[in-house]
This record gives sequence, C-alpha cells and structure tokens, in this order.
Amino acid sequence: MVSVRTPALKRVLVHLGYLLVALVFVFPLWWALSSSLRPVDDVFRYTSPFSLKALYPSEPTLAAYREIFAGKGFGRAILNTFLVSAATVVGGIAVAALAGFAFARIEFPGRRVLFVLTVVTFMVPFEGIAIPLYDLMGSLGWTDTYAALIAPGVANGVAIFLFRQFFAEIPQDLVDAARLDGAGWLTVLVQIFLPLSKPVAIGASLLLFLFQWESFLWPLIAVRSEQYKVVQVALGDFQLQFQTLWDQLFAASVVAAAIPLLILLPLQGYYVRSLVGTGIK
Amino acid sequence: MASTTGTHQTQPTMPGSMGERAGGPFVGRRSRTGNVRTWLAAYALLAPALVGLAVFRLYPIALAAWGSLHTSTFGEGGGRVFVGLDNYRYLVAEPTFWSSLWVTLKLNLVINPLQVALALGLAVLADQRFPGIRAYRTAFFIPIGVSIPIAALIWRIMLDPNAGLVNAVLTAIGLPAQPFLTSADQALWAIVLIATWKGVSFWMVFLLAGLQNIPADLHEAAMLDGASPVQRFFQITLPLLRRTLLFVLVTDTAINFLLFAPVYLLTAGGPELSTNLLMYEAYKTGFVFADMGLALAMVMVLLALVLVVVAAEFRLLQSEEG
Repeated sequence: MVSVRTPALKRVLVHLGYLLVALVFVFPLWWALSSSLRPVDDVFRYTSPFSLKALYPSEPTLAAYREIFAGKGFGRAILNTFLVSAATVVGGIAVAALAGFAFARIEFPGRRVLFVLTVVTFMVPFEGIAIPLYDLMGSLGWTDTYAALIAPGVANGVAIFLFRQFFAEIPQDLVDAARLDGAGWLTVLVQIFLPLSKPVAIGASLLLFLFQWESFLWPLIAVRSEQYKVVQVALGDFQLQFQTLWDQLFAASVVAAAIPLLILLPLQGYYVRSLVGTGIK
Repeated sequence: MASTTGTHQTQPTMPGSMGERAGGPFVGRRSRTGNVRTWLAAYALLAPALVGLAVFRLYPIALAAWGSLHTSTFGEGGGRVFVGLDNYRYLVAEPTFWSSLWVTLKLNLVINPLQVALALGLAVLADQRFPGIRAYRTAFFIPIGVSIPIAALIWRIMLDPNAGLVNAVLTAIGLPAQPFLTSADQALWAIVLIATWKGVSFWMVFLLAGLQNIPADLHEAAMLDGASPVQRFFQITLPLLRRTLLFVLVTDTAINFLLFAPVYLLTAGGPELSTNLLMYEAYKTGFVFADMGLALAMVMVLLALVLVVVAAEFRLLQSEEG
C-alpha cells in the first residue's frame, strides 16, 4: 500500500506496476479506436514492420464512422439492441424485485426448493439451451420478433439472487413498524424496500443490460431478418465473403463497446456495492 | 455456496437467526387462513419469475432431453422419429465427440482456476487506496464493456501471425514470431487468453465487492499482532472471501464449459480440431449438418458435465470450511 510516508522510489514502482496492468486492459480498445480513425489503407501499415505510428492515428479521419451509420445502417442495430436491453432491464428488475422480496421476507412451503431451483437456472447459461429454445420460439410463433429476443432474458436467476440477498439485509424494525400501521406486503415492498434498493437495482440493471447487449449466439439463431438485427450480429456485416472492411469493423466495435462503458463507468461504485451480497454470511 | 447456505438464515427454525425476524410478521401468529393467504401472496410475487424460468430455462432443458432421443427424417414431411438412446450410442462410438470433450475439459481445467486467481489479484490491486487509484480501477473495468465477439475480433488482429501487433512487438524485442490461432498447439491457449482478458475484469467486480465487505478492524487487529500483508491475505481475506470465490468459480465454470463465440468467430474449431469445443461441435451438428437430435444429445452431455463439475466445486470448497 502507498501512503504519504512511503519513499518516492517505492511509489514510482507501484505506479509503474499498476500502469503495466492497466495497459493490458486498455490497450486493445485503444488500438481499435486508433485503427478506426485511420484511412482504410493505413490500418495495418505500421505494424509490420513495427513503427510507433501503429500506436496512434497520424492522420485521423471519421470516414469509417460516417460510413457505418450512413451507409451500413449500424444505427438501426444499436437502436434494436437498446430497445431489447431496455425492455429486459425494466421487466427483469420488476420480476426480480418481486421474487427477491418473497424469497427474502416471506415464509412459505417450498421456499428452499424454489430458491435452489432459481439458482440452478443461472448455472445453465443460455448457450446450452439455445437450440431447444429455438424450437420453442417456433411453436410460439415468435421466431423473428423482438419478443424472441426479450422474453428469455427477463426472468434472470442472478438478478433474483441479488435482490434476495439485498432484501434479506434490511432491518426488520422497518417492516414491523409498517406492519403495525396495517400495511400489506405489497405496501411494505413498494414503500420501504424499493426506496432503499438503488444500489441493487443498478447492479442488477447492468447485469441485465450487459446480458442483452452482449448476446450473440441467441440473436444469431432466433432472428434472421435485417430489421431485428442486434449489435453483436451486425458486426458480421463488415466481414464480407472475400474482404473485411477493417476501418468500419473497428469503428463499429468501438461504438458497441463505448455505449455500455459510458453507462457503466459513472455507476461503478453502485455496481460494486450491489454485488456485495454474493458473499455475505 | 452463498445462495443455498443463504437460505438457512431465513429458516424460522433457527432461533435468533436473521431469518426468524425476516419471516416473523408474516407467519405463525395468525390463523391458518392467514397463513394460506400469506403463502398465496408469496406465490403471486414469485409467479412472474417462476413462469419465466420454467418456460425459458427449465422447459427448454426438458425439450433438449426429449429431442436428444429423436432423429430428424428428411424427405416429405420431415418429421422426427423416436430412436431411444441411439444418439448417445452414436456419440460414444464417435472419436470426434471424445476429442471435443477432451478439448472442452482441457480448456476448463486451465481457464477457471486461471480466471479466478487473476480476478482475485486484480481485485486486490483495485482495493488499495492511494492517489490515482480511481483511474487504474476505471482502466481495469474497460473489458466489461467489450463483448466477447468484439474482444475476439480485436485480439484476432493483434494476434495475427503476419501483420499482428503482438508479433510486431515480439520481433522488435528480438523474440521469434508466434503462430497463435493458426497453430494446433497454440490456438486453444489463444482462446483462453482472449476469454480471460474479458472474464478477469468482469469477475474482479464481484471479488472487489467481497473485499470491500470485509471489516477493516479485522485487518487492523491483525496488523497490531504483527501479521504481515501476506499472512493477513491468507488468514483473513481468503477465508472471508470464500463464499464470493465459490460464487465466482461456479458461475465462471458454467459459462466456460459452454464457451462458443470465440471459437465460432476465430477458429471454427480448427486448426486440426484443436479448438473444437463441445458447444461448437453441437452448434455445427445442429445448424450446419442439421442433425438436431445428435446436437441435443451433446448439449445434454455438456449440461450433465457442468452440473457434475459445479457440484464437485461445491463439495471441495465447502468441505474446507468444516
């Protein structure tokens, strides 16, 4: 640890170490960003043989960004993914808050079994059930609709788990007081628990948002038409059969990564706090 | 695991536990009809979640199990025929299945401990306090926003044997260039590297939350007793972090056993089937070769494998507690 009394040399070494680790995480995205700002012929120009010009765009241009939005309709894919993610977050938070409250605060037969079952569902990631789920969507008539993308993400075992852990920690005194005033359980949930739930709601929202923003295999299978194409699948548009449009591919990747980061980074404190519940007691 | 043991706290049979207080006002003190009404309320609250999980998680698993006992017929109608365990029998006799099972196990044997250990290291770094730490912590968060497909894409270019930046740097400092994804010996480890770059950052957040939840006075007391930072890490931090670690390990394992996107995007299982993970083999069998029954049999084997490994991880980490 670095404190005020730490000798200057040690402080410098600590910062060097941290910089090196940070570089591992920042560099790939930085490199995608600088490649996306290069003219398409220059994308690989400075890597072999290696020159320092590979590390920054020497003649920056926004041509690739203009092309992905104006020419390739990448904006549509972003809009689609936003819609799907937003619907999943809103529905998912409502579902998880209700279920988390019941698991944390109400005693009923079968609670243990149902909770374990809920936890088990998040041990079964999406990829494992994508194939049968595709059949199910077919019989529901939902193939190639927004519903096919949204519905499977709404009930999320991790989100339920987080809400349950968070609600279990809220002091009983608050509940008792409300109960004495004759409040029902729904009133207790809405008036006492929900106002306290900001950290867990933000943490669960981000999990739900990332789940949809990053999903790839499921949309690849479930929706085929351009109209419903989502971001991760749309990235394939820049890899043509005999040619890859590298500058555009990088530009689209930077946009696709920037959006969740712009939402995530200002909220990182909440995000960390909301996940405390995965370890308690 | 935090969750299952967590339910203990709310069992009213444990006197003095938090759970008794939690369950208190809704149980026991009223008439039987009052109880039933409370139960109904609980089920009503749970209904949306349980219906969603049952329809979109559990039912597909049942469908997969049922479908794995069938085979598709071609020609007029194109229906399905019940074949019993034929698909499984076929798999057992198929060398490609065994080799992709082995690739899947090999990957998981390395990637899960690796990701958890690195994520813990990163969380410890992020948990320090000194001027400037916020900037570093933000940097550590970056890969969370980068999806696996994008991470795969960027790393593919960086690892390109001819024009890639990593080889450019290697040759610039006098080391031999590496084939990475184009070599049967290195491709799987390149996939491990890419998935780990993304995963470590994601799991760090959970472990950082766990670290910040450890009361500071425990560390201060140990410091007064003269415990070194290393001793404190092993005697205070690790034991108190066990539940979070178990949560991370178990969830990470489930995700990595079904790893698909990097293989689909980067190697298509090659070279020489060296990255032919079972989930990719199942995708290929189902969607490229249109043998859905066989693909579902592979998915069932994978799910069974995940459950066995996860159960083993539970046993291992929980028995250490006793």
